Amino acid sequence: MDPNLPNVDFRDFWFLAPAIVLAVWGLVVLLADLALAGRLSAPDRRRTIGWLTLAGVALALLAAGVLVQVQLLAQAETQGTPRWLSPSLAEYFSRPGGAIFLGTLSADLQTGVFNVLFIVLLGLVVWMSMAWSFTEEWGEYFALLTWAAVGMMLLAASEELVTLFLTLETMTICLYLSTAFEKTRRRSAEGGLKYFVYGSVSSALFLFGLSLLYGLTGTTQFEAIREVLASTGPEARGLSGNVAGATAFLLMLVGFGFKIAAVPFHQWAPDAYEGAPAPVTAWIATGSKLASFVALMKVFLHALQPWSHPSNEFMGPGWLGVIVVISAVTMTYGNFAALAQRNFKRMLAYSSIANAGYMLVGVAAASVSTRGAEAAGSVLFYLTVYAFANIGAFAVAAWLVRDRKTDDIDDLNGLGMQSPLLAICILVLMLSLIGIPPFAGFFGKLYMFMEALDQQHAETRLTLIGLVALGLLNSVVSAFYYVRVLKAMFLREPGGAKRLGPAGRSIEIPIALGTLVVIVFGVYPGPLISVMQAAAVPMLTTSAGGYASMISAPSGTGYAPLPPPDPKAAPPASPKSPVLSPEMAKNYGALMKQAAASMGPSPPPKAAPAKKAEGQPKAP
Amino acid sequence: MASDIPLNWFLYFAAASFSIGLVGVLIRRNAIAVLMAIEIMLNAANVNLVAFWRYGNAPAGAGPLPGVILALFVITVAAAEVAVGIGLILLCYRRWHAADVDRYDSMSG
Repeated sequence: MDPNLPNVDFRDFWFLAPAIVLAVWGLVVLLADLALAGRLSAPDRRRTIGWLTLAGVALALLAAGVLVQVQLLAQAETQGTPRWLSPSLAEYFSRPGGAIFLGTLSADLQTGVFNVLFIVLLGLVVWMSMAWSFTEEWGEYFALLTWAAVGMMLLAASEELVTLFLTLETMTICLYLSTAFEKTRRRSAEGGLKYFVYGSVSSALFLFGLSLLYGLTGTTQFEAIREVLASTGPEARGLSGNVAGATAFLLMLVGFGFKIAAVPFHQWAPDAYEGAPAPVTAWIATGSKLASFVALMKVFLHALQPWSHPSNEFMGPGWLGVIVVISAVTMTYGNFAALAQRNFKRMLAYSSIANAGYMLVGVAAASVSTRGAEAAGSVLFYLTVYAFANIGAFAVAAWLVRDRKTDDIDDLNGLGMQSPLLAICILVLMLSLIGIPPFAGFFGKLYMFMEALDQQHAETRLTLIGLVALGLLNSVVSAFYYVRVLKAMFLREPGGAKRLGPAGRSIEIPIALGTLVVIVFGVYPGPLISVMQAAAVPMLTTSAGGYASMISAPSGTGYAPLPPPDPKAAPPASPKSPVLSPEMAKNYGALMKQAAASMGPSPPPKAAPAKKAEGQPKAP
Repeated sequence: MASDIPLNWFLYFAAASFSIGLVGVLIRRNAIAVLMAIEIMLNAANVNLVAFWRYGNAPAGAGPLPGVILALFVITVAAAEVAVGIGLILLCYRRWHAADVDRYDSMSG
């Protein structure tokens, strides 16, 4: 072992507080369930353990909120360090944020926002789970949900491929198990096994791609990878002629494609969504998708950014063409397949596939736009709104399964007459998912598509205009299947033997909160979109620190890696590289434009020059 | 440091065993065999990681440890995946009395 390895700053653990609370709370829940197993019946345990889990969620939310607040206050302090903290902590928190734990995790605005988001979603999922008894092992069930949340939080914070792989596995292994938790139905076990097989194959593909990327660059840190790839010079950018690079890229894309359920890697999604208990489906569709998209953007828009290349050619020199094709196929297939579905959860699964396609439009735009952070921020906005709308929709599915034992769209017949208020909430959720103006779903699509249209490169403009047009057509198609839900609720007579009972708190709260979010951010989208766009800046620029400067390029026999980085080009990496002051976050777009302008008409004016303009005195 | 076996050989071996694993996942119908094929794929990636780590130039100050460390982590993750996978296969076996993945088809469309 090298004695010169840098030491971990133990104050870094403060930033893990929400994750630590949740991880420990999972154990507490397990032990409590064990203690209560002999004494209480399963439904009683469901309530007791559920409330206990919610207490842990509240605690974690408190920790995450306090952490964000302390960091913001300490950084806003203008005269020296804040006095209300101990000196060492005060000094620590007033740093501009960046990477912690030797550059493996990020601790910045994006991490803080997403921690809070994941914890709130976890709370809603846990609450929804308390609606009915679909299993008897409540301790294990709630512990797995909690640990999946830990995986998601760390996945969205990871700044390095090792951490990314481990947290991805933490998240998905917990989700495989919770999918199979509905013991009374055999389709739950089937959904779990299918999810597991597809999921672990995709993990293996991703890992193989990761190993090749590690071989090509000699490092696993996103910023260091970007520096190595960018140091090859503009003419060698892109993937043409780079077989190992293209293989690594494609394998990693397939791995992520499985996780976000993009066509053609979507086969697991409908079965897993239909088979899993409704709260778990909600957790897969929202939390897992959110975390995977953040990780995808970190890998493709940050680490592999030099390989994207503005080009109109189909499968051009960069990876943009591949993403565009996948995005187009995903949204079209998802929407048309959803038209044919009778099962509500299966329909939502295909709608979630279609939504992954829309979000990939934003990712494609962010990869080549000179407004990369704004485009990525609009994807984050869309993800947030989509998550809350979907939590509400899956709460409806939970309601159907609880009272009718089936979850077909026809089971919603006559709901408008029976409980008008909830039916109106569902109406709002569906309208937002279609993208009808006063609701947040519309603004999500609007911001994302506007960013996609705002292209500086003539090479990509046509491609992205075509993609946006396809996205708009797809939105029209999607209206048909969402409207079928509304038709069942408002235009049909209640039928069937079993009527829906009163919803109860655990169903009402997710529906109501989802509706509230959709309406509030539909009326005032401004604050959320600006927070998300500010959060996207550290997401795409966090310089890893730690090992970032110590990059080795493997030099085996007969093996020609990319040339080692130019020592002059690499910025001096300090553990807390000050790239992220709030003013810079604000000026990011301007800086990128300025850098793009200074590059003149030559093709690659992308994030790379802008990064240098930010981190150090501008290159001549 | 310099060994007689060139790096290429490791990479060919890893790529070959990865392909064997992938083909196994696609054509084997027995759930346990699918699980084994997945393990082969993970281990192929491990070979890559360790080979790249071994042949990389260790820079002064800090070695590129992630390669070999990730390999250790992957072994752990693979063990966790097997445990979960066997559990899920048992759950399905109890309901269908078969370990044939083609039989698990109660959902489609």
